[in-house]
Amino acid sequence: MSELQGLGAQLSEAEQAGVEIIAISPDPNQRSQELAEGLRLGYRFVADGDLAVARRYGLVHAGGGPEGKDVPRPATVVLDKQGVVRWFSVSHNFQVRPAPGEVLRVVRSLVSEKG
Amino acid sequence: MSTSTRLAVLSVLVAIGAVATYVLLLGVAVVRNHPEGYVIAFGVATGLAVLAVVRARARRWPAWVALGVTSLLLIAGAWFNFVVTRVPDAPVTFKVGEPAPDFTLPDAAGRPVTLADYRGQKPVVLVFYRGYW
Repeated sequence: MSELQGLGAQLSEAEQAGVEIIAISPDPNQRSQELAEGLRLGYRFVADGDLAVARRYGLVHAGGGPEGKDVPRPATVVLDKQGVVRWFSVSHNFQVRPAPGEVLRVVRSLVSEKG
Repeated sequence: MSTSTRLAVLSVLVAIGAVATYVLLLGVAVVRNHPEGYVIAFGVATGLAVLAVVRARARRWPAWVALGVTSLLLIAGAWFNFVVTRVPDAPVTFKVGEPAPDFTLPDAAGRPVTLADYRGQKPVVLVFYRGYW
């Protein structure tokens, strides 16, 4: 959860309304959704139970989880209004995420973009 | 309290302080994105404990306990940060400048969320994460 706080917490309400943040994990996410709502973060938590979407994106760390289970590689992918990838970052250490300032800069420029 | 005991206490406090700082401030990007910070702090703590052992005259056990605790933390912390948490590099299937692969996944309430529904609506940030971290 902690990695999700940085981004949403720094967006104004208007900016949060102008962007959709979709958090994708193999977990059912009910608790994360409640936490995010408590923190007033505009996240949609979706469950990718069998990692089908992570696999489609090439973001599976085979055998990287507890008991050798496959887990997603932590990654942030920013899409513009047309669904085109404009920026992404994949972690090489699962404790580390992109600096919120960097993601914010990209998100802000896309929110204000026409079209 | 002897100098050695003071150093021993200080070294354990530095080590515990590093764990507490990292856990409590995990939501702060600077702390989260520099996990090597706790490894460095464990190294400093171990150094202080070595000094405590060197300075120990009469009562030696506090210095040895401090050295045991801090050196274990240093080994465990370094192993966690430099081995356990590594994610191997591999090519991704999407590219900057190309449409992201579409998907439909259930949200926390079981409602389907389809990426393509946002096309022409608003930018989207996809955050892939492990759930427990």
